[in-house]
Amino acid sequence: MENTIIKCENFNAWFGDNHVVKSVTMDIPKNNLTAVMGPSGCGKTTFLRCINRMHELAPDARTEGSLKLYQDEVYDIHPILLRQKIGMVFQHPNPFPNMSIYDNVVAGYKLNGIKLSKAERDDIVEDSLRKAALWMEVRDTLRKKGTFLSGGQQQRLCIARAIAMKPEVLLLDEPTSALDPVSTSSIEELLIDLKKNYTIIIVTHNMQQAARISDRTAFFYMGELAEYDHTKQMFISPKDKRTQNYITGRFS
Amino acid sequence: MTQLEHELQRLKDELIQMWDLVYSQLNKARISLTNFDQGLAREVQQNERRVNGYELKIDTDCENIFALYCPVAVDLRFVLAILKINYNLERVGDYAEGIARYVTGFNLPFNKSILKETQLLAMMDKAISMMEDAKKAFEKEDAALARSTFQKDETLDIINRYAGDILNTFVESDIHHFREALYAHSIIQKLERVGDQITNISEEIIFYLEAKVLKHKKKG
Amino acid sequence: MDTRFIRYRKVKNNLFKGIVILFSFLCTIPLFCILYYIIRKGIKEINWHFLIRLPMPVGEVGGGIANALSGSMMIVLVAAVIAIPFGILAGIYLSENKDKKLAYWSRLSADIMQGIPSIVTGIVVYFWIVKPMKSFSALSGSVALAMMMLPIVVRTTEETLLRIPNSFKEAALALGVPYHRVILRVIVPCGLSGILSGSLLAVARIAGETAPLLFTAFGNPYMNVNIFKPMQSLPLMIYNYAISPYDQWHNMAWGAAMILLIWILLLNLLTKLVTKRWRIQL
Repeated sequence: MENTIIKCENFNAWFGDNHVVKSVTMDIPKNNLTAVMGPSGCGKTTFLRCINRMHELAPDARTEGSLKLYQDEVYDIHPILLRQKIGMVFQHPNPFPNMSIYDNVVAGYKLNGIKLSKAERDDIVEDSLRKAALWMEVRDTLRKKGTFLSGGQQQRLCIARAIAMKPEVLLLDEPTSALDPVSTSSIEELLIDLKKNYTIIIVTHNMQQAARISDRTAFFYMGELAEYDHTKQMFISPKDKRTQNYITGRFS
Repeated sequence: MTQLEHELQRLKDELIQMWDLVYSQLNKARISLTNFDQGLAREVQQNERRVNGYELKIDTDCENIFALYCPVAVDLRFVLAILKINYNLERVGDYAEGIARYVTGFNLPFNKSILKETQLLAMMDKAISMMEDAKKAFEKEDAALARSTFQKDETLDIINRYAGDILNTFVESDIHHFREALYAHSIIQKLERVGDQITNISEEIIFYLEAKVLKHKKKG
Repeated sequence: MDTRFIRYRKVKNNLFKGIVILFSFLCTIPLFCILYYIIRKGIKEINWHFLIRLPMPVGEVGGGIANALSGSMMIVLVAAVIAIPFGILAGIYLSENKDKKLAYWSRLSADIMQGIPSIVTGIVVYFWIVKPMKSFSALSGSVALAMMMLPIVVRTTEETLLRIPNSFKEAALALGVPYHRVILRVIVPCGLSGILSGSLLAVARIAGETAPLLFTAFGNPYMNVNIFKPMQSLPLMIYNYAISPYDQWHNMAWGAAMILLIWILLLNLLTKLVTKRWRIQL
């Protein structure tokens, strides 16, 4: 596949003796929105966290096989550098409660001790908030704590915080599962907009969401990549029986 | 069984009922034609309303399933197929009614030799058997059977192609046959359309079963 | 039948409510008795001179508690300086390494230390510091008090940090922030109010301790600011004056008790304020 940004080959992940991700081979294209679906415990979140090495926070995690960002093996890049290239947004909105909206956006720079001039900071904050479609709502309250925002706004703030680091890839772990439908659709619109500039990989339990926003869908089942195809293909005529059963709600 | 599966089963049953009705319409049209039974032909015209009623009902049911259950994959294809088959069946119903209308509109029985020479009745039988095959294919989810209707449609096309010349000779031999020939030609054309509709139905069945789009492709 | 049953349940409910209210009211009575008694006895002793003068020999009028007040403050301050950083760091360790063996044992020992009688702590420090140094000292008193503070600070820090959702840590790590910065710049600031109020409460707890100071700071009738020398403190002074045979000294003990009480009340108020001011909505 041309324009591949992330390339997995026979990638495996374990937690202790638990083989969570089994021999996954897939190419994720650049500036695309890829959805990762599957029943609970199928390894999709672990797979996502392997991409920016967040799964290493668990003490007994280990991996095998190849996972490349462009030509570089992810597991040869220092996690701190890697995570600046691959941003992440979590299930529950988690703006830092001790920081203002402004500081939350530049938190990646502040916490990493990267010095920026006031003008640079202002630029980054405005640009990121605009990209996250939040600027118009918060530009007068930048000094307020991020936790005063609504759930959907908080999640967009988290997206702004992630894109402020100018990452190549944005990983989202069920970003709308804690939000109401209106906030959900605003985040979805935002993601469709963002994929022009970023490669987005989103784990979702919401099949309609995957159908609505993603270009490609990967279906994980029991740690295996059961099917990976264009989303339209997947939702009209999936090739794998497990995919079919899952998306039509017929798992026995 | 999930709620959606119940709904889909109900939809399928409904469509089969409609199918039975349209099938009997076509059959009755044929009988009224061969026996010149104008009473039966009127019955066919009356029943057309019921066919339309079925069409509306199935339409609404499909809409509801789309709105409430957001079907995907095989379910999505199934509902889409039903929606189109529904439309096609309604058209077949229309043609049956049209044929019956010619029977009521004519004052004496058709000239047997016209019916025989043009193979009109054979064509009608073929169309009816296609109907039956398609229905069986739908009920039994048998894609091969659905495919077999494509060949039968070819025969209909061939009969249709020669009908014009045959009718022409009839008219040339005796100008009094003109009106009869005209009617026969119309009926043959309607039957040819019935064949097309059933081919469409078969395509939808295959799309639903195998997720292949056959429209506007060479059929095998 | 039904209505009777409901009435019975209502009566039972009201009875229970009454008992609960009564007991929570009873709880406050000892506090008000103590406050009333101490204020009644102590208020007439307190004036500016009482705070800034040194004690006088028996028989002379107008002595003060300046040495005890300054001594108490110094001893507690030094204890806090020793115990709080120690305790916060240990608390961070415990909350970050919940399942390690070391964490288990240090958590257990903190819990046991909280239960050690203060006099025992005093004796241990006597053998550890006073004996080798061959002199009672304020420092040894501070160490004894620090040992009492430590488990409180450790446990409150740990519990505060455990309540901070893991998601903030993950958010910071996902931005590529190194681990130590995550702890210092995100986790600790988020739990600041809890840590501060825990530390202040610990200070309030030890400010009134007498027993560990008996063999360590020992007491001193004169003004002393050298922490390597014996030093007077409020609880020690109250203890010494209260067991003396002189009425005048008894009165001074009441006055000192009131000052100590005010100090502790202020600390508690401050804790409440800090908690409110620095509270971070998670």
